[in-house]
Order: sequence, then C-alpha cells, then structure tokens
Amino acid sequence: MGVSLLRVFSYILALAGVASSLPFAIALIYNEQSAIWAFGVSMLSSIAFALIIAFIYRKVETKTLNIRGAFMAVGGSWIFLSLFGALPLYFSGAVPSVTDAIFESVSGITTTGATIIPDVEILPRSINVWRCEMHWLGGMGVIALVVALVPLLGMGGMKLIQAETTGPEKGKLTARITNTAKVLWFIYLGFTLAQFSLLLLFDMEVVDALCLAFSTLGTGGFSSRNASVGAFMNPAVEWVTCAFMILGSINFALYYRFFTARVGGIWRDTELRAFLLVVMVAFLCVTLVQLPTGEGVSKTLRDSAFHVSSIVSSTGFMTADYTAWRPAAQIVLLILVFIGGCSGSTAGGVKVIRWTILFKQLVNEFHRLVHPHGVYTLRLNGQPGRETLVPFVASFIFIYLFSVAITAFVGALAGLPTFEAFTASLSMIGNVGPAFGALGPSATYIGIPAGLKWWYCLAMLAGRLEIYTLLILIGSMFSLRRALGSQAAR
Amino acid sequence: MSKKVIVVGAGFTGLQLARTLVAEGVHVVLVDRDPDKVQHARNALDCTVVESDGNSPETLSEAGIASADALVTLTDDDEMNMIVCSLVDADYPEVLKIARVRNYAYYLKTTATQRRHADAMANGERRPLFGVDHMLNPDVEAAASICRAMSLGAVGNLIDLGGGFGIVSVDVYPEGPLDGLSIRELASKPEWKYLISYVETEDDAILPDGNTVLKAGDRVGILTSLEDISTLMEFIGRPTEEKLGSVTIFGADRVGKLVVDHQFSSRRASAFAHAFGDSSKANSREIVIIDRDPVRCREAAECFSDARVLCGDMTDADLVREEALDSSDLMVAASGNYESNLVMAAYLKTRGVKRTIALTASGEFDDVARKLGVDVAIPMRDTIVDCIVSHLRGRNVKSIHTVCNRLFEIVECEVALGSRAAGKPLEKLSESGEFLALLVQSKGSDEFTVPSGKTIVPARGRVVLAVRAGSSRTIQLFTGRNRI
Repeated sequence: MGVSLLRVFSYILALAGVASSLPFAIALIYNEQSAIWAFGVSMLSSIAFALIIAFIYRKVETKTLNIRGAFMAVGGSWIFLSLFGALPLYFSGAVPSVTDAIFESVSGITTTGATIIPDVEILPRSINVWRCEMHWLGGMGVIALVVALVPLLGMGGMKLIQAETTGPEKGKLTARITNTAKVLWFIYLGFTLAQFSLLLLFDMEVVDALCLAFSTLGTGGFSSRNASVGAFMNPAVEWVTCAFMILGSINFALYYRFFTARVGGIWRDTELRAFLLVVMVAFLCVTLVQLPTGEGVSKTLRDSAFHVSSIVSSTGFMTADYTAWRPAAQIVLLILVFIGGCSGSTAGGVKVIRWTILFKQLVNEFHRLVHPHGVYTLRLNGQPGRETLVPFVASFIFIYLFSVAITAFVGALAGLPTFEAFTASLSMIGNVGPAFGALGPSATYIGIPAGLKWWYCLAMLAGRLEIYTLLILIGSMFSLRRALGSQAAR
Repeated sequence: MSKKVIVVGAGFTGLQLARTLVAEGVHVVLVDRDPDKVQHARNALDCTVVESDGNSPETLSEAGIASADALVTLTDDDEMNMIVCSLVDADYPEVLKIARVRNYAYYLKTTATQRRHADAMANGERRPLFGVDHMLNPDVEAAASICRAMSLGAVGNLIDLGGGFGIVSVDVYPEGPLDGLSIRELASKPEWKYLISYVETEDDAILPDGNTVLKAGDRVGILTSLEDISTLMEFIGRPTEEKLGSVTIFGADRVGKLVVDHQFSSRRASAFAHAFGDSSKANSREIVIIDRDPVRCREAAECFSDARVLCGDMTDADLVREEALDSSDLMVAASGNYESNLVMAAYLKTRGVKRTIALTASGEFDDVARKLGVDVAIPMRDTIVDCIVSHLRGRNVKSIHTVCNRLFEIVECEVALGSRAAGKPLEKLSESGEFLALLVQSKGSDEFTVPSGKTIVPARGRVVLAVRAGSSRTIQLFTGRNRI
C-alpha cells in the first residue's frame, strides 16, 4: 500500500508541477526575476520527485488501495499539494514567513480564499496567477484530474474520487470512472474559458481576467486586486462573475445531463430547485433590507445579487463591504454560509442537498405526528425510499457543527473576539474566506496568531474534504503508529 | 363433433372452468401432476383427467392436443404456464392458447412488447410471444372490475355491457317500490324505462316474463343505460351518493395497488381538463391505503406520493377512529385475504362508510356478501373464468358474465351471417325461459337498442343475451357453429 500511496503523491506533485508552468510562463513574459526562479525550482523539484519515485519503484506493481488507503491517499495528496503550493510563494519572497505561505497555499487549494497578504497589487503577476490557479485546481479536485489523465488502473479510482468529491451521494456519470473525471474536468474547463472570454470582451486585462476566471469557477475568492472584484469598477464584470459563481456552485454532473439530455431534464433535480429557491429568497431579502439605505436601485440590486452568490457559493469575492450593511442583511449572508452550494460542485459549506434531506425528513415527522400509523417515504429527484440517507446526513451535520464549535473555541482562545471567532470558524470550515466583523472582506488574516493559522489550515482542509477524509487520515496515522509500535515491541 | 379443450392445472380455477365448459358440452381434458387434485377432479367432474406433468409433449399428445381446439394453462407456476403454451405452439400453432400469468411484471412487459411487435409488423403476420394468444392476469381483471364499479358509484354489482348500458343487480326490499309488482305493472309506470333481465329468488333464478311478480328478498338484474343509474337507484329507494370523495383501500397487494394506480392515472389524464376549469370531471378523490404488512406499505408509499398509506390493523377500532376511516365515502377491500375482505367491508359499513366493495374468492360468496351488506362483491375466480370462457367461445362472442350463482350468463355476441337467428324476429326464436335478448345493435351503428318481440335479429350485428348457463346451443343460434 505504501508504494501505491507514494505513487499517488508523486502523480499529484508532478501534476502540480506541470500546472505551475502557466505562472512560470507569465513570469517569463513579464520578466519577473524572483518568480521565474521560484517557479523554476518548484517545478523541477516536483517533477524530479515524481521521476525518482517512478524509477525506484519501477519494478513494484501497483496494488489496489483499500478504502482506508484511498482516504489516506486523498488526504495525504491534499497536504502534499498544499506544501508544494507554498513553495513559489515563499521562494519568490512574496510571503516571507513559512506559516503564512502555507496558510495562503491551503487557503488557495481548498478554495477558501482567505489571504494573509495585505497588498496583493504589488505582488508579481505570476504569483497572483498561481494563487488563483490553486483555487482552480482545488475546486474540481486534483485527484479527479489525476484519475482523468493517468489511468490509475487497478488502484480504485472510484474510491479516490469518492473521498474527494462533496455531497452525501457519489456516483459515476459514465461507465468508466476515468471518463467521468474527464467529462467533469472538460465541463469545468469549458466554463472557465467561457468566463475568461466574456471578461476579455468587457475590457479586462488578460492576467486579471485569467485570475478572476480561475478564482470564480473554483469558487475560491483570491483576487489580483486588494478591493477584489469591486476594484474593476465594471458592472458587466460583476454580473458575469456573479453568474459564474452560481454556475460553479451547481452540481457539475447536472451539466453533463443537461448537455447529453439524458434524464428528461435537470429540473427534476431536487437539490438544484432547492438551491435556486434559496438563492432567490436570499437575494430578495437582502435587496429589500438594503434598498432603503439609498445606494440607488441598480447598485443595490447588483451588490445584493453579487454578495448572495459570493457567499452561497463560498467564493468570498466582494464589491462592497458587507460588514457595513444593515444587520438583517448580514444575518442572511451568515445563514448562507451555513447552507453552502450544491453537492458535486466546487462550492463549500454543508451543501443544499443535506439541508433538503433534513427538511423533507422534518415534513415526514410532522405527518407522522398527525398520522401515527402513516407510512411516509422521502423522495429525491422523484425517486422514493431515500430516507436511508437521513442518518448519514444527520451525523455529517453533527460533525460539521462540532468542528465549527471547536474551531470557534480555538479562535477565541487565541484571542479573537466572540463574533469574529465564530464567523471565522464558519468561514474556514465552509471554505468561504472572509468572515464578519473585524475579519470582514476588507481585512486579512495576517494579524492572527501563528498557532491559530495552523489550526485554520487544518479546518480548511477538513472543510474541503468534508471532514471524514481528514479524520480518517488522522485516525489511520495513529493506528499506523500503534501498529509499528507493536511490531517494534515484538 | 364437439369442441375439445385441454386445461392444464386442476386447481380451483381449473375445476371451475372445466365445470363451466363441461356443462356446455365441451370435451374437456384436465391435466395435473398432483394425484390428490386429480382424484378430486375425477370425482367431481365428468371429463377426462390425466395425472401427469403438463410440461411434457408426450402427456399433451396423450391428452389429444392434436385434435384439441384450445389449451388453457392454469398451474400455479407462471413460467410453467408460458412454457407449456410455448411448447404446444411449436407443434400446433393453430391451437388457441390461453395462459394465466399472475406475475404482473411478466404480464405488463409481455403485453407491451406484443403491442410493439404488432405495430412493427405491418403485414399482420405475427406470432404471439411465448405462443400465448391470450395472457390473463387475474389481478388486472379483478382491478378493472373494481374500477368499473367505482366509476359507477359502487351502487351494487354492475355488469358493464359497453355502449353505455349496464346491468345493475339490486335487492327487492319489503314494502319497497318493487315489492309485489309484476313486470307488466312495472313496465306501465311512466318513470320506468328499464328492463328486468333476470330474477334471482331464494332458491332459483328465472328469466322473467310479463307475469313474473317480484317479491321481497328477490334480487333482480336491471338493464339500464349508465346515465340513468342514479335515477334508477332513486326509484328503487337507494339513492346513489353524488360523489365518492374519499376512498379507503384495504390491502396494498397487487389488486389494491392496481386499483390505486388506475385512480391516479385517470386523475393524471384529467389534470389537463382540471387546469382549464373543468373540475367537475376531474377525479379528485382522496385515497387512503391501509395494510398490515410494513413491507407492502412501504412499497405503496413509494409508488403513490398522493395517497396516504397507513400501516396498521383495520380491526383496531382506535386506528379507524383516529384516521377517520369510518367517515370515508367508499371502502374497497382488495387484500389477498378474501374472507377478511368481506368481514372488513361489512365492519366498516356498520361504522358508517357509505359504500363498500369487496374482492371475494368466487361467486359462491355473492350471497354472503349480500347478507353482510356489502354493496359490490367482485369474485376473483369467476372474473378470470368468465374471461377465459369468452375467449374460448370464439371470435363471435365478445364478452360473458356469469350471474345468479352461475345459473345465468350475460353474453354479448356477434350475429353470424348464416346463423339460424339472423334475419328473424326475436319472438319466433324464443322458447320462454331459454333466453332473453337485452340489447340489439345493428351492423355499422354504435348504438344499442332495447329490442321488443318484433325486432328482427340483425345479421352481423350484435346482441346481448341473458341465457341459462351452459346452453351453448342457444348462443349458437346467433353465432352459428364456428370453431373456437
């Protein structure tokens, strides 16, 4: 199993190395000396690592990973990837501290978008592209990309993807898991290109447009400007970004169905309908609360739509400082942090489908109170008998809220005020990015203690991998040590 | 030469079918592998009984399949029924083959595929699937009968003759409007526009003439157009409920589910009409399904999102009160347990349910159902036997229904061109008490008319007759002596 794990890690690193050739090229074009050196070293070291692994174990056959192995491979890959992502940031001098570089990298890979860089506009362009590209890689999932590109035959690609994708149910779209991963990444790439071209059409610079497109589809939140999307002062860009944030937080499997017109229509999808309902209601509430503040109708509409999409998709872009909004509007946004996007999307949070399942269960419980002998079933997408999911969903929400509570406690211990500790904890585990209060969208996380940054790194990874994967990884590491210990004792 | 039918499977249905056919003078060969059943059949019936496996070509040729007109397979095993038909079809494609298939999925898929084949083959040259000419599913037939009764307000056992006519069987109450009247007196009343088709007394049943006097305790079959049912019921003092808004279905077995499915599919069909304000026709019944078995309940809940499914014991008075089942308008007892169907229907009737329909084992229970106050009894076995017999009667017999404890049959048949009756007035044919012509439809017209003695039997038209059971000779007056 060890060799299989190492192989997965080496694939991931090689892939990340190849991916960093894009910022490398940009560094070359704009002649950014420090960045050329930083990307060159990271790229070469990752590819060298992969080649060495491939050479050493060239005669060892790959074994199928068991389920625990798959969880370890995925969890480990994400940790390796976070470390790799920090290399260019640190080497180029853009982020002088190791802790900060790793925090920034984890925040990028997990599509959180919480930054520790006070002024991103003085960074080399290539570094900004790399930050946003990390969002893009982490959004759809690097494991899925590896499965799509490298035929991990006999390694249980399905198990790996299951440990990485979000939502209570994980299926295959096509008969072969490799094709499924390819289809999903292809759609993802298509959307990114679409947004990129639209942004160019609305007079954006190439690098800014590239950063914004990467960051939007990954529903991340890093930006090449300090004032985020608001810095461009371009309503068209805001609307385009708003639309693609929503597109990024819908289950990508639905697009496949939509394009192949397989299952009647995507409107039967319970989660999609619930998600759109949530977005519409939140948009109406925020607009109605904010209208009387006198910002003007078109600005209010745009800001409400933008921030509702930004928060529900766990992106964290901003065009205005919502911490200055009326409390009622802020609470609506806070509730959206809890809800999150759809399963199988790049968005974070608890996911709409889980709340929908619990809501439907609640309705059934109400019916059962009135009709004690009644038999009720839970329908999803028109299919009956889905009440079997309820325990899984309930326990997930428990562990999610438990993690939020612990993280909030750790934040408060580290000296954050109550409200900030709580909302930052939600924001980290939900992979949103900005929190409320003093950690709002215009602030950065540079000022928080180093220990808390490490804890938040863990929280962001846990949130992205839906907690279980990371818990199993940690548990496996303990049991591995125990196993080694007992071996040594013998 | 008399007709010859081979029946494989001597269970209840097989025996009843054989009895019906033997009474008509058909040469029946019963085949069964169970020695006890064979012995029982030999004692009970005047026909050849072969003790053997129906699944072997030797047995079947020994039974005389080569000279047979038809094969009916009624074993407990669906696959066996189909395979026997298939085997026979390979050697004797001209033999009419009828199989009972209880598995609804088989039935559904086979009939659907058959239809698809029929559409695909434009030249009409198609072989039936598995060699089965007619696949019969008892549950489907029973559910169809129940739905027919429901759509007509569950006023009593009703035979739908098609063309907008039906025969309702109702009781003559003491001191009621029918008690003590002769048919002639009844016919002279201006508001009487119906026809008494048969009279079932305590111990006999007769085809009435003008002098027949109705007495309390008789049950009469009244021919009426379906539109006039409510006025008829008002006339005899049992007004129909305007609308059966809430229905309780007891039993989520196959029949129960088919009934509910039919209710919902007719609602779906009328949803369009509903959207355009024509809500009077829209079927807006509130349906409650109750069953004791949690697994069946779960299945029902998964199938029907619009119905309320309850898992519980119907004998539990608290449950009935809690869920207000006693105030529903109609109760359909369609579980697989026929005895409890009768009891439950009667029980809920006493608790205030307006109308009840019960699925029973056979027509033998009609009397019991009547005495218990159950409005409509649908006999499972008779439904399927009637269906088989109507197929066996040949192309000219369209449908057949047994009534009065199997003493009479209501037969709808086509008048053959060369038959003895064609072209003659009805009174010339009639020997009193042999048959009663209820409806006549001439060739090319859609409308049925109630004939008088002078009515000429239209060649190649249709007639509906009430005849004594087993008098195939009477029917042959009209249909001619055709092969099955």
